[in-house]
Amino acid sequence: MKRTFRLNRPVYIKSGFTIVGPKEGDGNFGDRFDIVLSDDLWCEKSYEKCESKMHRDAITGAIKKAGLNREDIDIMMGGDLLNELSSTSLAARNFPTAFLGLYNACSTFSEAMLIASMLIDGGFANNITCSTSSHYSSAERQYRFPLELGNQRTPTAQWTVTCAGCTVLSSTPPKRYNCEVYEDDIIAVDKGLQVDDKTLEKYKKSVEKQKLVIDKGRSNIIRDNFAHDNNDYGKANSHYAVVTGGTLGRVIDLGIDDEANMGAAMAPAACDTIITHFEESGLSPSDYDGIFTGDLGRFGKQTLEYLLSKEGITLPTYYMDAGASYFTAEQKTFQGGSGAGCINTVFNGYILKRLQRGELKRILVVPTGALLNKDTPLQKETIPGISHAFTVESRPFDKIDTKKYS
Amino acid sequence: MLERKEYQKYVEDNSPKSPMTRTLFAAFVVGGIICCIGEGIGDIIKLIFEDMPEKEVAIWESCIMIFLGSFLTAIGVYDRLGRFAGGGSIIPITGFANSVTSPAIEYNREGVFFGICAKMFVIAGPIIVFSVAASFLVGLIGYFCV
Repeated sequence: MKRTFRLNRPVYIKSGFTIVGPKEGDGNFGDRFDIVLSDDLWCEKSYEKCESKMHRDAITGAIKKAGLNREDIDIMMGGDLLNELSSTSLAARNFPTAFLGLYNACSTFSEAMLIASMLIDGGFANNITCSTSSHYSSAERQYRFPLELGNQRTPTAQWTVTCAGCTVLSSTPPKRYNCEVYEDDIIAVDKGLQVDDKTLEKYKKSVEKQKLVIDKGRSNIIRDNFAHDNNDYGKANSHYAVVTGGTLGRVIDLGIDDEANMGAAMAPAACDTIITHFEESGLSPSDYDGIFTGDLGRFGKQTLEYLLSKEGITLPTYYMDAGASYFTAEQKTFQGGSGAGCINTVFNGYILKRLQRGELKRILVVPTGALLNKDTPLQKETIPGISHAFTVESRPFDKIDTKKYS
Repeated sequence: MLERKEYQKYVEDNSPKSPMTRTLFAAFVVGGIICCIGEGIGDIIKLIFEDMPEKEVAIWESCIMIFLGSFLTAIGVYDRLGRFAGGGSIIPITGFANSVTSPAIEYNREGVFFGICAKMFVIAGPIIVFSVAASFLVGLIGYFCV
């Protein structure tokens, strides 16, 4: 019963696109995202609608950035934290594509990446989008309390990240240059819309309003920011990234019942997956330039290191937890970020760019998820965790392939 | 991997804990100030309406405090106060007002009936049930024993 697999042919990462909220823009990865919003409602009437819109636009952006059209995508895979995957499903109705909704809490992203790469490897699809999203305010309302309630967060609590991200996986290699994405590609009145002039005028006005919400100073898609170091538009990538394999996770439950201490609930799952990965693949931590966990938080990270040290595995200094690194200490998020979009936006905004610059050669991404809903802790259930790992390698471009997208 | 018991002990021993001195002090001070404001309002009412009976003053005082709690919730101040003061701002009647108003604001988007009206008591519901049940019990005891 082997859980680790290696793909027979390379599955290329065509592009990654991220949209984040204002607090995330102020965080440690603030200048690396494609779109930073200055308002976490984005002209919508509810946070759930906003999350769905972010999700939809992240997929649109990623497809455009990869130089593809909607019709080129064979399958869309995605998930989020809301009941019945509402924000993903509502986002998917805007596309003419087959859709698979996935749920593995905060490790949904790796689940999507693994299934997508298997499907491409097996020849069942050529282009697949893997997207996830989460929103602080919608998650807070679903899992915890109303926003305005004057309660205190415990020191073990994490902050659900307001973000959406999408990666396009493909059987064909990417080009050296990312296709430029403009505001008009993301926010526009649908061309096929059959409405009278008055309604059209209303839509146009609302589009203008939505554009104002995009933070011009930090969003990477804005032309003025192309020169920034962490911006991947307008620059040639020296390398491209390839998904090469992964390890599927088991559901692990060591009896943690505190829903405010997710890091402790998820760390054993990450530990199990990492140990299995090294055992079955025959590799060791020194074979990797980077190991990234999803959203264990500061305490969860410490717990994972403790659990692994008991097994005789020492994680190297380059080991990073995306959640623990997401926010600065001044932002008072206690353990750091969490949520389905957390590792997704860090992967697409930070890790992928480093892979494409050739700074990282081979990495292991191990997002973790806590599998609970609002009622299970009340029914005295403990919180199981799950974690899937995928490996990404970067390879240099051939010198000939220098074409820009037309 | 570690045994369940061993792991639970590790988590319990090593999880970050709330800073007790700071949180208790903040709760004491803020809770005290809220109560002082309530007393102050009672005194002002007594000054203005000299003939008002004590019981009625107390009712007016509670009403004003409930209004203040709801108002501060609506303008987004009370949750910040709560983050700092914890129990200090939850226990007084303003905290009760906050726990009713905050879900009402939150579920406004689902409409009046199944949004505001249905969800208004998701947090304060248990308090209301217990207080009704307790008053019924006390009433029974009072009726038969006193």
